Amino acid sequence: MVSYSAVPMGTSAKDEMQKFWDKNTQLKRPLSPHITIYGWSVPMLMSISHRGTGIALSSGISLFALSALFLPGDFSSHLDLIRSLSLGPVLLSAAKFTLAFPFTYHSYNGVRHLMWDAGKGFGIADVYRSGYTVLAMSFLTAAVLAVL
Amino acid sequence: MAALHRFGSLCGRGVKPILLSKSALIRPLLSTNRTQQPPFLLGSQIRMSPVHNASSSASFHWTLERSLSLALLGMIPAAYVYPGAVMDYSLAAALTLHGHWGLGQVVIDYVHGDAKVKAAKAALFVLSATTFAGLCYFNYHDVGICRAVAMLWSL
Repeated sequence: MVSYSAVPMGTSAKDEMQKFWDKNTQLKRPLSPHITIYGWSVPMLMSISHRGTGIALSSGISLFALSALFLPGDFSSHLDLIRSLSLGPVLLSAAKFTLAFPFTYHSYNGVRHLMWDAGKGFGIADVYRSGYTVLAMSFLTAAVLAVL
Repeated sequence: MAALHRFGSLCGRGVKPILLSKSALIRPLLSTNRTQQPPFLLGSQIRMSPVHNASSSASFHWTLERSLSLALLGMIPAAYVYPGAVMDYSLAAALTLHGHWGLGQVVIDYVHGDAKVKAAKAALFVLSATTFAGLCYFNYHDVGICRAVAMLWSL
């Protein structure tokens, strides 16, 4: 007569990955080329740009908040400083575009991401179509904002 | 395989085996117990309810992230139409939380090793907390986010 005990399974995927990395770094094995040799595609570029613009925007907000806490003078005085530089309208518009574009791109691509999260638009043709739409809308909206 | 056959033979006898719950993966371990005992199943860490495990809290976090993104999307036109103190503080909270969670995903993707992850998460928390504090300070002592954007754009 046999009775059964149950014990938990051995290792988790996280543990196994940790062991993989530990072993390979310890053996000083070189990493296979990946991003340097893989053929870039529009969806790939847009995906990493979504992350890049997100990091940039977050950094901008944090810099703004830290300035408010640690720099002397209020917001008006900082604007006066910029005004005193007497930048031409073209340069001002260019600066506004540089600020607006990461914001519009991240927002529109964010909508694209939310559509994927809802389960829509995964077909390759849809991915490219929505991708080009996001790019066009981002440029247009940022351009309009830049001249406001 | 014999173990599984035995396991299957238990099912027909009104013994409800409480094995293989969703949240704890276990494998049957054969113990050579020769005394006459009714068939019973010993288990360690067998949980019946799968509700409070790591994967359901992760998926709940995922849903919260998307809800916040949607809310933040709505706040953009709302801030234009209804600028003011309520909008300023809502934006401060939503922006910092969205950024915190977003950068958290970046940490998960690129930082490996328990000590490094812990350090990165701590640094991120300090950054996000300081950012939120700074934005609230700006909203209270200065013109506020909505007004600031309007002023900047009027340059």
